[in-house]
Amino acid sequence: MSIKKPIWQQPWGYAESFIISFGILSIGYGLEWMLPKTPSTLIFPINLILGSCFFILLILSHFLFRKTKTHAFLSSIPLTISLVSVLSILVIIMGILPQIPSPQNGLVQKLGLNQMTGSYPFLMINLLLLIVLGLVSLKKTFPFKLKNWGFVCSHWGLWIVIFAGGLGSGDLRRLKMDVFENKMEWRSYDDQNRFYEMPLAIKLKDFKIDEFNPKLAVVENESGELYEAQKPSMIMIEKGLACDLQSWKVEIEEFYVNSGRAGDRYYKLSDFGAAPAAKVQVVSSQNDTLRGWISCGSFNRPHESLKLDDNFSLVMTVPEPKRFSSDVTFITPDGKKRDEVLEVNKPVSVNGWKIYQLSYDDKMGRYSDKSILEVVRDPWQPYVYLGIFMMMIGAIYMFWKGREKINTDVS
Amino acid sequence: MIWSNFILVLLTSSLLWLFALLLYKKEFLKRLFIILGTACIGAFIAFLWVKLERPPLRTLGETRLWYAFFLPAIGMITYLRWRFNWMLFYSLGLSLLFLGINYMHPENFSKTLMPALQSPWFVPHVVVYIFAYAFLAASSLVAVRGLYQHYYKTLDKKVMLMADNLVYLGFAFLSLGLLFGALWAKEAWGHYWTWDPKETWALITWLGYLIYIHRRYHMPTVFKSSLWILALAFVILLVCWFGVNYLPSAQFSVHTYSQAP
Ligand code: HEM
Repeated sequence: MSIKKPIWQQPWGYAESFIISFGILSIGYGLEWMLPKTPSTLIFPINLILGSCFFILLILSHFLFRKTKTHAFLSSIPLTISLVSVLSILVIIMGILPQIPSPQNGLVQKLGLNQMTGSYPFLMINLLLLIVLGLVSLKKTFPFKLKNWGFVCSHWGLWIVIFAGGLGSGDLRRLKMDVFENKMEWRSYDDQNRFYEMPLAIKLKDFKIDEFNPKLAVVENESGELYEAQKPSMIMIEKGLACDLQSWKVEIEEFYVNSGRAGDRYYKLSDFGAAPAAKVQVVSSQNDTLRGWISCGSFNRPHESLKLDDNFSLVMTVPEPKRFSSDVTFITPDGKKRDEVLEVNKPVSVNGWKIYQLSYDDKMGRYSDKSILEVVRDPWQPYVYLGIFMMMIGAIYMFWKGREKINTDVS
Repeated sequence: MIWSNFILVLLTSSLLWLFALLLYKKEFLKRLFIILGTACIGAFIAFLWVKLERPPLRTLGETRLWYAFFLPAIGMITYLRWRFNWMLFYSLGLSLLFLGINYMHPENFSKTLMPALQSPWFVPHVVVYIFAYAFLAASSLVAVRGLYQHYYKTLDKKVMLMADNLVYLGFAFLSLGLLFGALWAKEAWGHYWTWDPKETWALITWLGYLIYIHRRYHMPTVFKSSLWILALAFVILLVCWFGVNYLPSAQFSVHTYSQAP
């Protein structure tokens, strides 16, 4: 089959597909340029109604037009490839330009390149992909053949993920709550600091935090910046540690996780605000020995560094958190109480809301009595998960099966 | 300290693999030496894991180590299946390259792991990606070889079938990596997908190989264009692996593995 088919003669192939895809992209950019930018997302129940209409129309058009050339084209691989190529270009732009709103009004902003996911071209290409993917999946599902089950899982799975994820994004609520120890809180706030009343109250009984030991580091006296001539530039402090840091030999003679200064030394202490401190011995490359105390301080205690020479000082870094968690009680409107522990990566579901441990007052560090929680409601999640699990099955099928041997002889 | 033992691993593996290359006609010894060399890297990873008290999957250097481990492993699997010596030794060379880079740039090996990464999703997410990248890198090597054959002699059909199979395996892993990532993000942060630059580039990679798979399915008898798609997809893969941190969009990525003091 080496005779070239004139363009726009059926059946349409790659040339027509690419022209159509780029045409749609251009129309999208035209719209983006002319129409005002309204950050509107569909919310319940409009998204559900529109989504259902779309789905019903898709099924109807499949069964009514399944024998037509248009249907064959719409569910063909050339159109798939051209649309995925165009989508890739958009995503590449997204991967290069920072996606943040900007007050400027240059070409980038006019074309929505800095807010790609909300721009008309992006949405139009995705909508078309959804139609193509839907029609292919319908074609391969009816009549159902058992050998197509891998295909059915991967394609329907992706369809469901895009469909449910896209429609549901407007119904997603992500809010924050600040709870203080021994206080009850029922208000949450959004990015613009608007407050909302929640259908549940949270009482923080205890906020706990475990920290890693602080680290040793050398900083430049003048700029205060970390000196990194040699790596590692930071070494975690432990009792009895002896190590080489840059051109000095450092030995830890004493180390207290909780301590306070009294007179010329630090003592072990468990006060509110007690800070880590260490007594160090430092030997320089000229064999000068130095001794002294260093501490990273806390919100109410000063930090202390050890001057090594005119240019450099030895410091103790502020410890990093290892684990933090909140002991809370949830109280729902029906009067039920529930005790739970919230930890990073271990959210808890209450009344259709998912509650995540997010952060705390980092100026107070381990003495924080404030826990910052994130509360999320996403009614579409089960459907997206269904799609994700179907895609996983599809992927495992691909792994198992590999590429089936096909007849590659040119006939 | 921990890292100073690394030179031993580098030397041992290089030597063992050199023997394997010299004895490449002796099936048993070749396989033995290759497996031993790979095991050395595996042992070092285990050692690092124990010493750091966390999975060594956080810094670029640590992930390079896994890459250096899985590349020969996959080279061996494909060798057992397809008997391509060149594929086997290329994977060893690539692995040594990664070890070499690690030796030149030892990084800060701190024990700290931020709480957001202390999740059961973390290890499968990263390991699956590393598998995917290794398979896809291998498929691109095959593509380069295919292109060479296409332009200078006749293309061996076996090469095409092998490229397809490697892409299918790699793509399956890549999909799993993306999906694990989405589930983890949803569980840990409340959103599947945040268009973080690393995620965005992983998606571009996925789309590139998606194009290849469909093109091959559609035109099983046309090789040249598919081979070029595959070679190009590898460029994207490399951007995703090495280049993302240098792009303007990377400023606030949760996937850049550096941290402020
Ligand atoms: C962007 C969305 C996608 C579209 C529009 C699409 C479209 C298509 C089309 C039109 C076919 C040809 C079906 C036929 O005519 O028999 C096909 C086949 C195929 N697609 Fe996709 N696809 C998409 C995503 C995917 C994904 C995510 C995967 C893998 C997980 C995948 C894997 C396959 C495979 C393996 C085949 C061959 C089917 C078979 O062996 O019967 N596709 N796809």
